[in-house]
Amino acid sequence: MLRILGRATSSNVQKVVWLCEEVGIPYEREDIGGPFGGNDRPEYLALNPNGRVPTLIDGDFVIWESNACVQYLASGHAAGSWYPDDLQARARAVQWMDWSLGSLAPTHVPAFQGLIRTPPAERNPDAIARSRDAWSKLMAMLDAHLADRAYIAGESITMGDMPPAVLSFRWFNLDFEREDYPNAKRWYDTIARRPAFARHVVDIGLA
Amino acid sequence: MLRILGRDTSSNVQKVLWAAGELGLEFEREDIGGKFGGNDTPEYLALNPNGYVPTLIDGDYTLWESNAIVRYLAATHGAGTLWPEDARIRGGAERWMDWQIATLSPTMVTVFRGLVRTPPEDRDMARIAAARDRTARLFAMLDAALAGSDFVAGRDFTMGDIPVGIAAYRWYHLDIEREDFRNLERWYRRLAERPAYREHIMKPLA
Repeated sequence: MLRILGRATSSNVQKVVWLCEEVGIPYEREDIGGPFGGNDRPEYLALNPNGRVPTLIDGDFVIWESNACVQYLASGHAAGSWYPDDLQARARAVQWMDWSLGSLAPTHVPAFQGLIRTPPAERNPDAIARSRDAWSKLMAMLDAHLADRAYIAGESITMGDMPPAVLSFRWFNLDFEREDYPNAKRWYDTIARRPAFARHVVDIGLA
Repeated sequence: MLRILGRDTSSNVQKVLWAAGELGLEFEREDIGGKFGGNDTPEYLALNPNGYVPTLIDGDYTLWESNAIVRYLAATHGAGTLWPEDARIRGGAERWMDWQIATLSPTMVTVFRGLVRTPPEDRDMARIAAARDRTARLFAMLDAALAGSDFVAGRDFTMGDIPVGIAAYRWYHLDIEREDFRNLERWYRRLAERPAYREHIMKPLA
């Protein structure tokens, strides 16, 4: 059976378990990283020298980097749906996955970690505010992209929706002021009604 | 013909030029970004709301994010070569592409900008040295991964070599101390034999 190494509160682990449930891939998950530790042990680093979660073990094949894990699983189990066959639609999905990796995720970290993983007395309000403002500009981009399409890569959900949706749960649920992004909100609310997303992202909460 | 928008000194533009070169694709390139500007105009932002370079225009299709463009060109024109058909080999390639975006690039950028795009009197040498040390630890990872294989995803050159291959050129041409990473250097020398790498990547750092 597929093994996923990584704690359930990691947004990067959530993408992988969400996909597994959507497409019916049985898996076992092990708590590693964050409060559980274990990601700096020699046994873990032998599998994933980058020392982060998740790591995916599929028989004798090991892969890490969450979006690479998603593409690997989607291409093998969900070609034509989560992994678009049309190369332009697939590239559009990948474009927003890479944008999430290189722009959205690093921008949101100071706000998210500051508000959720830092005791109130130790928070840096200026850093949190700057992060929120920059994050909001990226949400405006996402909102504009979703103005005339239901999902990231067109009219059906694909792997391209996964990274921005997992981080959008945080955007729409953190305790801060939010601009009104109606297209992003409609898109997010549609995804949040999916049982697999509800179970692996919404029900886990902000942690 | 393909249009590539972006200055050729950008490592992200270089990824696309190198991929196009490997695939034998004809293209026109336009200088945008950096000292040329133009990436904050309404016309450019209508194509690429993120405002960075490169942007690819392929007929009526527009795509941005450099690694997404490399994957698109590889899938469209390089199935079985740049784009591995085997899902495990392809996964190995994509892993190093994502690692370049999320881990290597944000670490190495401090060294590169500090030494190449900052006047000597304005350089924060302590910060640059600390970033160099962190970058060296990342290249040590890549060096270990290359111990048993000719390229990052195995026996053959793939799209996975492109983002990290450009970072390696910079590593070997910045005025810094370098550890002796034998596998990394062997791989870099192998890349340096490729005509498209010589044409698009092996240029003065700017």
